[in-house]
Amino acid sequence: MATPVELLLNQVRKENISRNGQTVEILKGIDLEVMSGALTVIVGPSGGGKSTLVRLLNRLEEPSGGRIHFCGEELRAIPVLELRQRIGLVPQKPFMFLGSVLDNLQLPFHFRHQTPPRADDPKLLLIVQRCGLEAAWLDREARSLSLGQQQRVSLARTLLPGPTLLVLDEPTSALDRPTGDRLADTLRTICRDQGLTVLMVTHDLRQAARIADRMAYLEDGRILESGPAGELLAHPRCDELRRFLAGTAGEEEP
Amino acid sequence: MTQTGIIPLSLPDLAGAFALILLAAALARLQGSGQGWPLLWSALRMVAQLLAVGYLLHFVFALRSAPPVLLLLLVMVGFAVQTVAARVKSRMPNFHRIVGLAILVGCGGTTFIFSSLIIGLTPWYDPRYLIPLTGMVIGNAMTGASLAAERLAGEMAERREEIETALCLGATSRMAAREASRSAFRAALIPSINAMAAMGIVFLPGMMTGQILSGTEPILAVRYQIAIMCVITGSVTLTAFLILWFGTKSYFNADHQVRDPGAHH
Repeated sequence: MATPVELLLNQVRKENISRNGQTVEILKGIDLEVMSGALTVIVGPSGGGKSTLVRLLNRLEEPSGGRIHFCGEELRAIPVLELRQRIGLVPQKPFMFLGSVLDNLQLPFHFRHQTPPRADDPKLLLIVQRCGLEAAWLDREARSLSLGQQQRVSLARTLLPGPTLLVLDEPTSALDRPTGDRLADTLRTICRDQGLTVLMVTHDLRQAARIADRMAYLEDGRILESGPAGELLAHPRCDELRRFLAGTAGEEEP
Repeated sequence: MTQTGIIPLSLPDLAGAFALILLAAALARLQGSGQGWPLLWSALRMVAQLLAVGYLLHFVFALRSAPPVLLLLLVMVGFAVQTVAARVKSRMPNFHRIVGLAILVGCGGTTFIFSSLIIGLTPWYDPRYLIPLTGMVIGNAMTGASLAAERLAGEMAERREEIETALCLGATSRMAAREASRSAFRAALIPSINAMAAMGIVFLPGMMTGQILSGTEPILAVRYQIAIMCVITGSVTLTAFLILWFGTKSYFNADHQVRDPGAHH
């Protein structure tokens, strides 16, 4: 039912200029294929370039080299505002704009000069419910919600305009474990029920193992291994992933 | 009262006034505040600078032609940009170009509207009006420009999350930076609003005082002061608006990406 999504990354590199003027290579040639309709998790230690990779996908930043293709088109060939509607990115920290939950859900439509759905819109109510929010919260001040609830509003806000690819940057890192687990389960359900293609990055292996169809291991700017999640977890081929699975890889917070 | 309406100030009179500076320096030494020499030094600078300006104005007035006046006004704009650059710590990309253009258009435009279209100055460049008028306008616009530029830089850094979230949700760069620009604009306008509200009660403005001293009827001096405050407020607002319009844009590229996105690391 959902449109097939192709996302191909070919030798994607990203350099940044550090504070002392030196060039730092954050991504060193990423090759990745995201499967349509699957939930793919890129897992790896903090500081490995995961957030940077995510920011390249909806062009918050530009890669320094390599190619990214989305649904047969080169990323740069798609008008950037249209691209950001087709690839919805949920940032790491949920930022709530001043106003109610409903105001926040309607905001992307205002940005795009489209008529926003009203509070009784069936599609809005369906997404609100799928994201684990209560319809009664729509009138509440968004900033008065808990962090976990805000993350759900952020997710619903990105889903409502109907992206074909949902990208999430460490969506559970700011949440406590049970809240994070519930959000991960929500993602799992949305991916399955809507047939939505989901790409998520996280340093939380447990979370990744819990929900991923496919997995890729990113460390130090390189994808060292990728494939079906079960295979990667059961038979890691590279030492780095083996060490990460054993819990010895750097787990420091960003 | 004399015919000219003002008592001439002779050089011995001036020397007498300068004695008060010596008194101030002596008191500073007595207090041991370490300001004796700095005070004298800045008093000497004042004398030298004002004399230089006085002769320059005398010279420009005598020339009776437009180009020297315009050149002087341009130099004033240049100094204003330098002053703003010195005051503002975190500067937007293309800082000098944007601030220069904003002050030039913001001050030049409003001053021209007043001097040529409203009071109908003849000749249009009459330096006796145009130079002090522009000086006051630029002086105030500088404050507005500093506040706008400094605040915009602060807001852009502080609201990074908000701006990038808005971009992710399909906002154009201008929409994403709207709140940042709005609070910078607000900050830039506060001094003008406060000054107008306090005018005549808390302080008597310098230009009006000067006009009264030189023999102008108080009512006419007041009219001039009202007009000048309108010009000042107009120019501050226009200058701040232009700085924020182009300044906001300078933080992004055409693809609605924040320039220099290194800050999120």
